[in-house]
Amino acid sequence: MKIVKKAQAGTMQSSDLMVFLEPAETLNVTIESTVLKQFGALIRAKVDEVLAKHGVDAGEVRITDRGALDYAIEARLETAIMRATEG
Amino acid sequence: MVTSLLSTDDLTQARALLEATGLQFETPYDDLVGIFEAGRLVAVGARQGRTLKMLAVAPSHQGGTLLDEVVTELVGRGYQEGVDSFFVFTSPALAPNFETLNFNLLAASGKTALLEYGDGLKRYLARFTRLIRPGNNGAIVANCNPFTLGHRYLVEKAAAAVDQLFLFVVREERSLFPFGARMRMVQDGTSDLANVTVVDTSWYAISSITFPTYFLKDGDPGGAIQMELDLMLFAQRIAPHFLVKTRFVGSEPLCGTTAAYNETMHRVLPPLGVDVREIERTNADQQPISASRVREMLLRGELEGIAELVPMSTLDFLLSSEGIKIWDKGGAR
Repeated sequence: MKIVKKAQAGTMQSSDLMVFLEPAETLNVTIESTVLKQFGALIRAKVDEVLAKHGVDAGEVRITDRGALDYAIEARLETAIMRATEG
Repeated sequence: MVTSLLSTDDLTQARALLEATGLQFETPYDDLVGIFEAGRLVAVGARQGRTLKMLAVAPSHQGGTLLDEVVTELVGRGYQEGVDSFFVFTSPALAPNFETLNFNLLAASGKTALLEYGDGLKRYLARFTRLIRPGNNGAIVANCNPFTLGHRYLVEKAAAAVDQLFLFVVREERSLFPFGARMRMVQDGTSDLANVTVVDTSWYAISSITFPTYFLKDGDPGGAIQMELDLMLFAQRIAPHFLVKTRFVGSEPLCGTTAAYNETMHRVLPPLGVDVREIERTNADQQPISASRVREMLLRGELEGIAELVPMSTLDFLLSSEGIKIWDKGGAR
């Protein structure tokens, strides 16, 4: 799917994350997290997995996380993708 | 649930809550939201442009997630309106509360700390990484509204004293000449100087975030603290990235706000490892050359004298059809 507009999903509460998507020429993922040192690589792997699942290969993906579990990451990112791609 | 505060009763409650927590109700704002519990307002927050303000939670409800909810709503709504980075001013003691919400501390001075949501500063700095050459570099931050022979003189002097000179043009759109036009005048007016690199300040120097009173001449008492924050941000975060050891500035005989800014610069920057060199302004007709003098002459239609105050490249722009549209609002010419 192609990111055609700006979209956001999630909250800033503990155990949650905020996802911001914007159209872009290339895929650029930035992750900020209160647990980046411990789980940065796992968060990144989950994000890549969800993006691949939805065929997103271009876009500005910004994530600010406060220790969300992987299913929360998946749900928030999928929601943002739906919002960014719907017509 | 977070809701917009619109009715008179909402606003009365917001004012009372803010005053009870030692803050003030400050108009204007673009968005004002709050959380009610049994008809009583227990949390409030507002957004004005990129700045979040008036954030307060009733003492009885602190320690929970109300602040998170208010900030989430403000950031989410702001993002939908096209704002992509957010700033908050708070006291240094409260900064950790925002850091847990993924705000990053940009600068802290005395009673005020400035934080940014997200990694905007890092992305801003990364944009220029490939332009930076190692060496003894210098910087000038200027609005260039418009670019004058005074700016040109300062740039020449500074460029001769360093390996690479970064000329930061103020990004903020609060001036007669729009950013694009100022940037072009600066680039055209310095293109012959090989070691000058023209960049923009984004929101991180002399902006409505770091130094709002710069744009309201004659400032206010809060201006002093903001100048400090602006300069600390420059010295601690921007200068090291650009390998800048010296900031150059023109002496300021005319504008009080800028003179105070220069004075603060001498006090704040050297202890943080950035030297300040103040360069005497050049004169034309026994009066210092300044952009405000050029603007006054333009608005009065005194075109003859302007050629003595600006480089040829700026004059060409001012007299182009695009340039005329900017300063001749009445369309008399």
